[in-house]
Amino acid sequence: MSQMLSPDMTIATEAAAKSKIEVKNLNFYYGQSKALKDITLSLPERSVTAFIGPSGCGKSTLLRVFNRIYELYPKQTAEGQVLLDGQNVLDRSQDLNLLRTKIGMVFQKPTPFPMSIYENIAFGVRLYEKISKAEMDGRVEQALKRAALWTEVKDKLNASGLSLSGGQQQRLCIARTVAVKPEVILLDEPASALDPLSTAKIEELIDELQADYTIVIVTHNMQQAARVSKQTAFMYLGELIEFDKTEKIFTSPREKRTQDYITGRFG
Amino acid sequence: MSTAASLHQSRKRRNGVMMTLCVIAAGIGLAWLALILGALLYKGLSGVNLAVFTEMTPPPGDAGGLLNAIYGSIVMTIIGIIVGTPIGVLAGTYMAEYGRFSKLTTVVRFINDILLSAPSIIIGLFVYELMVRPMGHFSAIAGAVALAILVIPVVVRTTEDMLNLVPNALREAGTAIGAPRWVVIRSVAYRAAMSGIVTGILLAIARISGETAPLLFTALNNQFWSSNLNAPMASLPVTIFQFALSPYEEWQQLAWTGALIITLTVLALSIFARSLTGRREDK
Repeated sequence: MSQMLSPDMTIATEAAAKSKIEVKNLNFYYGQSKALKDITLSLPERSVTAFIGPSGCGKSTLLRVFNRIYELYPKQTAEGQVLLDGQNVLDRSQDLNLLRTKIGMVFQKPTPFPMSIYENIAFGVRLYEKISKAEMDGRVEQALKRAALWTEVKDKLNASGLSLSGGQQQRLCIARTVAVKPEVILLDEPASALDPLSTAKIEELIDELQADYTIVIVTHNMQQAARVSKQTAFMYLGELIEFDKTEKIFTSPREKRTQDYITGRFG
Repeated sequence: MSTAASLHQSRKRRNGVMMTLCVIAAGIGLAWLALILGALLYKGLSGVNLAVFTEMTPPPGDAGGLLNAIYGSIVMTIIGIIVGTPIGVLAGTYMAEYGRFSKLTTVVRFINDILLSAPSIIIGLFVYELMVRPMGHFSAIAGAVALAILVIPVVVRTTEDMLNLVPNALREAGTAIGAPRWVVIRSVAYRAAMSGIVTGILLAIARISGETAPLLFTALNNQFWSSNLNAPMASLPVTIFQFALSPYEEWQQLAWTGALIITLTVLALSIFARSLTGRREDK
């Protein structure tokens, strides 16, 4: 681990793989107001990391810095470093579209594109690869299987993505993200708009996906964080309060604020 | 207890009065529409026959049809739409997508709203100065340009509004998958807003197909068949204007029939536009 990390932010585990994303002294501003304050942490490869904290604590904001999606909007600025495999993604020279093929994102509300199920997945693949129809069919099937949606939709690939249920739509969005073969998948409260059954499916999926992808999940639901993640970051008012192995955070947190939050005393 | 009851009573009374007023107001509005449609059908329908669609506008006192006027209206409307729509859609796209947060958009929207409510006769005069005077004669192409200028603000407005209705989450999703901005707009935003944008174009067609004033100064009118875009061309609204003011009975009858044709066309377009929007809301 880098020496720049203060000791309490380093995961004290030898087993932790090499880090995929390293955040160093990251500050983020919405106009004048500072939303992230000097965040430093490092996310291990092929593992699930959860960001928890009360509304407005900056967890989604942090996630949105990783693929620089915040740049769609004016007056949002980030300073500091976010290293993806050692490359600073905040560099001006970073090609944003290429960055986003490496770092996929799934949102709180399912966002299927207004096109068929097949096209929803083929759309992203076609952006960067020229492949035959047969290969594309394979890719679509593979992605849908990966997202545990194949059996439900294999007979209606030409139906509109909007015709699916909320939970299915969300898995379609995950399939779409997986199809472009990213290295990192960002999940911004992916199950908060879903019923418990769909939520369970999504969580199962996350568990399977971590074998191949580095996953970062923002969640309001602490049980969910406890269930799916290997390490958890607790954020409060734009600061990273505590970052550690998930079981450590949930059983013996170092910080009183973390303790108060996970026991439901505030937030 | 009794106070509460009387409060409730008086609220109910007031509700009754306001409700009645609303119903009356709605009734008056609908009554005019029904009267206009009724009068048009009553006076116009009797004049509808094959000759209306096959013969030229007649000289006073003769029988004839409206073929050249119908043809002129269709030609100038189509050219107006073909010229105006791309400009309108592109401007609306700029405002809703690229320039969403820019000052220029605010300014353009303000000017566009003025243009949207500008009296169409002023557009006619503008094109008269711009084209008719330099060219030295009235022409169908000048008429089409005047109509195009009327199309632009309508299409700009609806395109911007419809694109603004596309949730940002959808744009973010497209962006997050690595699609460049223009691909997100073309393949995601346009697709999501398609029925709304088409509705706007249909409404623009409905608007310009009934315009008289901008054509008076530009295409003028033509008693005869003419497909020359560089010469004056007849159109239904101008023909109606001329024939309705005339003392000749045959002309007046043709004016009624022409008015009926325009009204039914506009009505059909509006219903079609409605059904498109309706289908979008079902989703």
